[in-house]
Amino acid sequence: MYQAIPKLGVFGFAAMHALANDGNAVSPEAQAVRAQAAYVIKVFEQSQALFGAKKAAISQLMALAAEEQTVDPIALLIAEQFLRALPNSIPLPEFSIDPDGSISLDWIHARNQIFSLSVGANNRLAFAWLDGTDKGHAVARFDGQQIPERVIEGITTIATNGNASFRIA
Amino acid sequence: MLPSGLPEIVADEENLARFLTSRGHFNSRVVKPAAFMPDIEDRETSVFRHGSEPRDALWAIGDEHAAHGRTIHGAAIIKAQSVRSIRLDVFPDEPPPKHSAIRNWPWTHDDPDLRKAEHKELAISLANDAQLLKR
Repeated sequence: MYQAIPKLGVFGFAAMHALANDGNAVSPEAQAVRAQAAYVIKVFEQSQALFGAKKAAISQLMALAAEEQTVDPIALLIAEQFLRALPNSIPLPEFSIDPDGSISLDWIHARNQIFSLSVGANNRLAFAWLDGTDKGHAVARFDGQQIPERVIEGITTIATNGNASFRIA
Repeated sequence: MLPSGLPEIVADEENLARFLTSRGHFNSRVVKPAAFMPDIEDRETSVFRHGSEPRDALWAIGDEHAAHGRTIHGAAIIKAQSVRSIRLDVFPDEPPPKHSAIRNWPWTHDDPDLRKAEHKELAISLANDAQLLKR
């Protein structure tokens, strides 16, 4: 099994491209190196794209927080942790600010398909959802690293109902 | 009759306007739940008894009585009946003219986070029924 190289410098990346595009490689070893280089490039580019999307979302959140000026700074910190911890398979949310200064993360597929989660100044996440006629609310604990399973399930349920409008993280 | 000339009871079929002073409270298609969340001090959501038309009069009310120095980006229009269908209620609260308040938000949970989650569920219902008007 090939392992992704965690860091690639500019020269290392260029060299990797040269290896991956070496059409003269004919021996099995050379072809294996070429395949591995292509794989590493693919993983690297995917992770860059994913990180870029999260970075853009965090910037968007910071801009909204700066505009509102009522945002709790601890809530902002936890919301950023939440975004970073969000698995890459989960779409990124939209943001809004609640009257109490907490941050609302909303996954809106349609008018009647919404999952909304509030990040406040503690480690408990208040969330609610509407999925057609199904609705409810609950609270889950967030340790700063692992998104609670119930939250993942709730977002996924909304997002998988034909989610053309979601931005994938 | 109230000073504004409106009846003292908000009828089910009346339109209510919730002015949107945050860009985050709506997107290109819908009103977001946060737009309807109650203020934690007075435990109510401020609205005005006005529909989508006449539009100029709507924005004039927003600018004069709801903006408080902020920009009115739009309004969420909802029927009083939608509010009452989820066991909230709407009451006149003048002045300012035509001002009303969505009240009866449940405040029974001791756990503030669970209370907030319950409010979110209700706010989602209101957002679901609301018509988004962008300015």
